[in-house]
Amino acid sequence: MIGRDRCEAVLSQTLDQPNIREADAYLSVQDLSLTRFASNDIHQNVSHGNAQLHIRVVVGQRQGRATTNDLSDGGIQKAAKLAHQNALLMPEDPDFNGLPIPGSPPQVATHDSDTESYGPASRSQVVASVCRLAEASGLEASGFFRNGTQETAVLSTKGARAYHAGTFAGLLVMAISNTSAGWSKGGSWRVEDIDSGALATEAVDKALRGQNPRTVEPGEYTVVLDPYAVDDMLGSLSLYGMGAQAVQEERSWMNGLIGERAMSPQISIWDDGADLEGWPVPFDAEGVPRQHTQLIQEGVVLDPVHNSYTAGKEGRRSTGHQFAFTGPPVASNLFMQTGDSSLEKMIASTQRGLYITRFHYTRLVHNRNCVMTGMTRDGTFLIEDGQLSYPVKDLRFTQSYVEALAGVEAVGSQSKLVLNEVGFATKVPALKIGRFNFTGVTV
Amino acid sequence: MDDLLSRALDLAEVRGAGYADIRIVRTVQERISLRNGVVDTLSVDESLGFGVRVLVNGCWGFASSHDLTGKEIDRITALAVDIAKASGTLSKGAVDLGPPVTSRGTYTTPIEEDPFTISTDHKLALLMDADQRMAAVKGVRSRQGNMVFIKEEKTFANSEGAHVEQTVYEAGGGIAANAVGNNEIQRRSYPQSMGRQQGCAGWEYITAMDLPGNAERVATEAVALLTADPCPSGIVTDIIIGGAQLALQIHESCGHAIELDRVLGAEAAYAGTSFLTTDKLNNFRYASDVVNITADSLRVPGLGTYGWDDEGVPSQSTPIVTNGEFVGYLMSRETATGLGLTSNGCVRAASWNRIPMIRMTNVSIEPGTWKLDDLIADTDDGIFLEMNRSWSIDDKRYNFQFGAEVGYEIKNGKLGRLLRNTTYTGITPEFWNSCDAVCDADHWQMWGTPNCGKGQPGQIGHTGHGAAPARFRNVRVGVL
Repeated sequence: MIGRDRCEAVLSQTLDQPNIREADAYLSVQDLSLTRFASNDIHQNVSHGNAQLHIRVVVGQRQGRATTNDLSDGGIQKAAKLAHQNALLMPEDPDFNGLPIPGSPPQVATHDSDTESYGPASRSQVVASVCRLAEASGLEASGFFRNGTQETAVLSTKGARAYHAGTFAGLLVMAISNTSAGWSKGGSWRVEDIDSGALATEAVDKALRGQNPRTVEPGEYTVVLDPYAVDDMLGSLSLYGMGAQAVQEERSWMNGLIGERAMSPQISIWDDGADLEGWPVPFDAEGVPRQHTQLIQEGVVLDPVHNSYTAGKEGRRSTGHQFAFTGPPVASNLFMQTGDSSLEKMIASTQRGLYITRFHYTRLVHNRNCVMTGMTRDGTFLIEDGQLSYPVKDLRFTQSYVEALAGVEAVGSQSKLVLNEVGFATKVPALKIGRFNFTGVTV
Repeated sequence: MDDLLSRALDLAEVRGAGYADIRIVRTVQERISLRNGVVDTLSVDESLGFGVRVLVNGCWGFASSHDLTGKEIDRITALAVDIAKASGTLSKGAVDLGPPVTSRGTYTTPIEEDPFTISTDHKLALLMDADQRMAAVKGVRSRQGNMVFIKEEKTFANSEGAHVEQTVYEAGGGIAANAVGNNEIQRRSYPQSMGRQQGCAGWEYITAMDLPGNAERVATEAVALLTADPCPSGIVTDIIIGGAQLALQIHESCGHAIELDRVLGAEAAYAGTSFLTTDKLNNFRYASDVVNITADSLRVPGLGTYGWDDEGVPSQSTPIVTNGEFVGYLMSRETATGLGLTSNGCVRAASWNRIPMIRMTNVSIEPGTWKLDDLIADTDDGIFLEMNRSWSIDDKRYNFQFGAEVGYEIKNGKLGRLLRNTTYTGITPEFWNSCDAVCDADHWQMWGTPNCGKGQPGQIGHTGHGAAPARFRNVRVGVL
């Protein structure tokens, strides 16, 4: 961490450069440490820090950009000059309405000094305890334990001024036997929230229960999904359509569905960059406060998230979802409304179906209705007569996520925070879905 | 510069490291992207930093920083040593790097014209020209175009005496047109999907693409796909896969599967392991006998081309599949030694702040003997498909499903009707053993994959794949 004062000094110096009349500067400072293990052995152990200064210079309706990690006087001067030159070389963009009007982002306290100072020896001890637990069951553990800090600051000539410092910690555990695997993942802005024993036990139990899987035929099954699998569904729905750029270009799954009840009334989804239950950053890369944005309300599709550019095209204000320095608006701190069921109840109420821990390598097959393909992984079981009957070999699915969420039969009462690697987080419950289409099975 | 290198290596030794290396990397990247006639991004990104990697008591530690000063070199080196000591908490044995690496020299990507000397106006004009030609096609809803130019200057030194300096250039560009209608969304890209075609090359690589000259065709095909018949659903037929699509097929079902760190479990908790376990080396029929696959870091303009890898091992060529038999891995010093072999120089880091790991070089299928026209004429019933649209593969690299932007029915040896939403699926060794024809060198091209994800923390690798169209028998298509 370099601290608020240093961040603001760098940003002020950036905007004070000659020839800059309208500009914003976005500073991202990250310290990341990660201990990676495989086969009950630490095989990578790393630490890095970086500070990236992004500058956008505006000349009329033209924007030029530059990025540098050289925060010296000369480095800042050079980057600002490049951004200005780039702006002058740009053609006018009639849809660009200038820098966004600043707001007042809420202060969100997600910095934990214990998490920041958590060192390699502490991480190694946790990893060793996880591996010992796996080894005691005749399994091999793989995964990582990471912690770090992320500072984000924005300053603009239009008056935007925002700073946020947050910490993060995460443990991923995969326990492996010769014929099976189990998986668990925990994340928080406080390292003390990481229950390594519980996470290791969760992965080990699944690996033990999943041994000697049998093959079941592809086809339509009722599925009970762990929150890890639901996280994948929300991530894909976000990536392939919850941003206004995709909607404006008519390549979003939302197109044609806005205002329609496309999902089960049990499904409500929103983005909230200030909610401490997720991994909050209260403003976006333009310094705009991230608004609580309801995306699905009781199955009805609502409006997508915006940055200032997409909002300007529609004569509205940004919702504060410019995820990175460039690129489209993204909903990245997503929540799904909990229900009144539980994994146990969902399984007990299923005559024949599959219980799935998570999805793997999911990719878009078709934009309409967000048709995805991917594999099940790390704990897939057949449900018969309300009970887990036996583990099964992983299956490939080809399924519309929108149609799947239209067929939700039950929603878990508990939700889990799934903190992904690039600051993308979801807090999601388990789901039971009436029909899910499997199109293949692996060896 | 040399003072900083030796400062890190000397200090690492004093603090107890049995091995140390340091990379100092400066990267300049120019990005230009056009979206619907508007310049979406015009940016120059610069990054400078260093990474220190050490072995202490046979355990790894790595630390890095963007502050290239003597004081910070000292701090980061000490941190790397501390991290390595912590790694010793859980160690199955000391890492053995095998024979010392003492490479010395310099390497620069051979280019004809430095892309950073070409004016931004000229680059923008070329993209604008292509965009306007796409926009002129009725039915096109959105267009994209982009160029990327990278210059990476890297100095590597290790405690065994290696000291190499490299300057690697990359140039990339591409266009895409999207059409919307008839409850469909269709895209056509050129020369490569997922944004652009990229290679270790100069400005001449961009001019050779002729983006404006292909813009109208790309846009017209996107619109035509809206009303094309869908790919037949769930049938088994013969397919001819075009070079761009086959490049990704190689990347996913061969390239990743032969990364020896993945085989040994290092990526188990992320993208998975590999079915090509070490007992299969020189003992497994991966493909039919017409298939020969090579990994090399010598073939310009492949994105896996360099002088030395990030362990200082010289670039080289390695047979991977010879007449269908599996004969080689992509290896690091550590993993090769474990098999009683020596590294074939396949280790790279995505940046100064990432640890080097095994990455694909240029993993390519060697040209066969067929002309494409003859191959189509020799196919009674099937589908020709080209340009990747979606890709997914399981965690052992067995079960895959790919989608292509465009397909054409083949009937009685002739290309027929256009097909949309073309997909195919299979099991890797069964699929490659069904290959009975590969087109010749006239059809062979080096394709670039500048978006290969691996590792935790994540790293984006740049890999090359030479490919020519090839035929596969009895493949399941139209998976929905």
